[in-house]
Amino acid sequence: MNEKILDVKNLTKSFDTKIVLDNLSFEVKKGVVFGLLGPNGAGKTTMIRIILDIIRADHGAIKIFGEKFDENLKEKIGYLPEERGLYQKITVLECLRYFAELKNVKKSEDKIDFWLDKVGLMDYKKKKMEGLSKGMQQKIQLVAAFIHNPELLILDEPFSGLDPINTKMAKDILLDLKREGKTIILSTHQMDQVERTCDRILMINRGKRVLYGSLDEIKSNYKESLVVEYEGDLGRIEGVKKINDYGKYAELSLEEDIEPQEALKRLIEVVRIRRFEMKAPSLNEIFIEVVENA
Amino acid sequence: MRKTFIVAKHEFLATVKTKGFIFSLILPLLILLPMVFAMGFIPQMISETPHNIGFVDETGTLQTSENFIKFEDIGNAKKALLENEINAFFVLPANYFETGKISVYSKGGFFSSRPTSSIEAFLISNLLRESNLDETLKERIKEPANEEVITLNEKGEVEEKSGVGFLIPYALGILLLLAIMTSSGYLMQGIVAEKENKTVEILLSSLSANELLSGKILGFGSAGLLQGLVWFCSVGIILFLSPFASLFQGIQISWILILAIVYFTLGYLLFAGSMACAAAPASTVRDAQQGAMIFTMLGILPMILLNIIIKAPNSVIAKVLTYVPYTTSVTTLMRIALVEVPIYELVASLSILVISVLIMIKLSAKIFRTGILMYGKKMKIKNIFRYLRE
Repeated sequence: MNEKILDVKNLTKSFDTKIVLDNLSFEVKKGVVFGLLGPNGAGKTTMIRIILDIIRADHGAIKIFGEKFDENLKEKIGYLPEERGLYQKITVLECLRYFAELKNVKKSEDKIDFWLDKVGLMDYKKKKMEGLSKGMQQKIQLVAAFIHNPELLILDEPFSGLDPINTKMAKDILLDLKREGKTIILSTHQMDQVERTCDRILMINRGKRVLYGSLDEIKSNYKESLVVEYEGDLGRIEGVKKINDYGKYAELSLEEDIEPQEALKRLIEVVRIRRFEMKAPSLNEIFIEVVENA
Repeated sequence: MRKTFIVAKHEFLATVKTKGFIFSLILPLLILLPMVFAMGFIPQMISETPHNIGFVDETGTLQTSENFIKFEDIGNAKKALLENEINAFFVLPANYFETGKISVYSKGGFFSSRPTSSIEAFLISNLLRESNLDETLKERIKEPANEEVITLNEKGEVEEKSGVGFLIPYALGILLLLAIMTSSGYLMQGIVAEKENKTVEILLSSLSANELLSGKILGFGSAGLLQGLVWFCSVGIILFLSPFASLFQGIQISWILILAIVYFTLGYLLFAGSMACAAAPASTVRDAQQGAMIFTMLGILPMILLNIIIKAPNSVIAKVLTYVPYTTSVTTLMRIALVEVPIYELVASLSILVISVLIMIKLSAKIFRTGILMYGKKMKIKNIFRYLRE
């Protein structure tokens, strides 16, 4: 499990005068789910494209499966890009067969049947793509990424466009693949999914690495939050550094010098508290704090 | 290479299965068949219509023959014409020998016409009968020129070409230009379509940009070649079955066809590379077409200057176009039809084309790789240099 699947060192990339990736280094070990986070425009997609040799870096080195990039390695990688789509005028079978052929899959129809059955789209095998809903097409795209049984999966926003049932199905498939020893790089803005699924994360902002490590390691660097369920108007509370307010539920980051008990007293004066607890800050809170303070 | 062929097969099948492509295959038949019918069969129908021609002879010179019926006066001739007993009649007035004037009467209508040539032949035949000339001379007067056109090259040697031989490469030039333009147009649309439907990044995760571009060029080029060959064969079959078939007898077209395929392949590769450069950074077909305008204009330049090339195939303009990569395919093929193009010019033209193709393929691969994932950009000169640096 200590085998490095991906080793990125000092990666730098600029477009014109804009530095998109700035001396970025990280590694991904075999069999982990690795979360790749960052606000829009942080450089995540550029980094993924460089890993896949779709575009080239200005500086830095990348090793995949312990080797320098080689076109043949693409057959060991499954990729679901953020900017994605499918050929609309051909059938599901024709489309998947084409993608499978490009990944050098033998007996592709057996594999296509297996995956279509798994995602519940077997009845649509001979239907034209344009007749499928957005969610169904999203599942076809996931199948296209899995069809060649890759060792490394790079999935950019895999859950977007899926309803809760299909999101659960996709997540279950990912966990099955993880159990089979596959390595998954997951780029998403859905922090709850990252928190529940990822073993390690890398957060980049403006091309720079701002968080890197296991979730526990990262959270241990942040003070616990006061989480409350309430009724009323929260407003501004003295001693509270930041409030992530959802209307009936809020996560409060406290100032360094204030005790949770004191904060709770002040809260009770303005709203009716139904439930409260102290807990490690959510990844969502950390994400917002890191990006806003950058 | 394997992936290149997979892409080529996919693009070829996707193209030839479209309604537009199938329609384009039968388009020459739809255009040419009515033209051949109009040019070939209608004149025959018209010329064969006046089987029976009447005449009123006030000079007493003419004799009745198989298709020419004599009438004593205009009134009877008119009556016969109106009752469709004859198709036309003419009056030879008493002063015909002084004036040469005759009056021809016929009915109106789509297929009717004045049987001028038949009357002339009838008159010549009758007039010669009156003379004391030798029979052989009489025959020559009736048919003074049975033409055989002999073309000499610059050295004064006879070129084995018939009078209409130039039509074949001339038609090939047009077919070549059409085939090159449509197949490189397909390529351009194919690239933009994959950008629009966002499949390009999935593809690039499976193969390199060079393999993808090569596959596309090969696939769309094969479709274009198929289209060109179908056009060529349909034109050939139609002409072979038409009344003009005898005009093309003895013309050797095999070497012209081989040269046309060579020029198509090289010309297509050059235009395909150029179109790929225009299409890769574009987000819509319209943007790509705007970017490709300069290549399209250069491509059709030989057609714009067609008159000059045909009238003076060895003029400076025609020679310059022979050495310009974007115009050489069509120009050279048309010049071959008209004059004997020296071998060194052919070699120079092909060499320039091959070198240009190699440069363009390298250039387009770089631009394609960088531009294909860019959205909302148009082909600009300053961008080209940036893409080449990437």
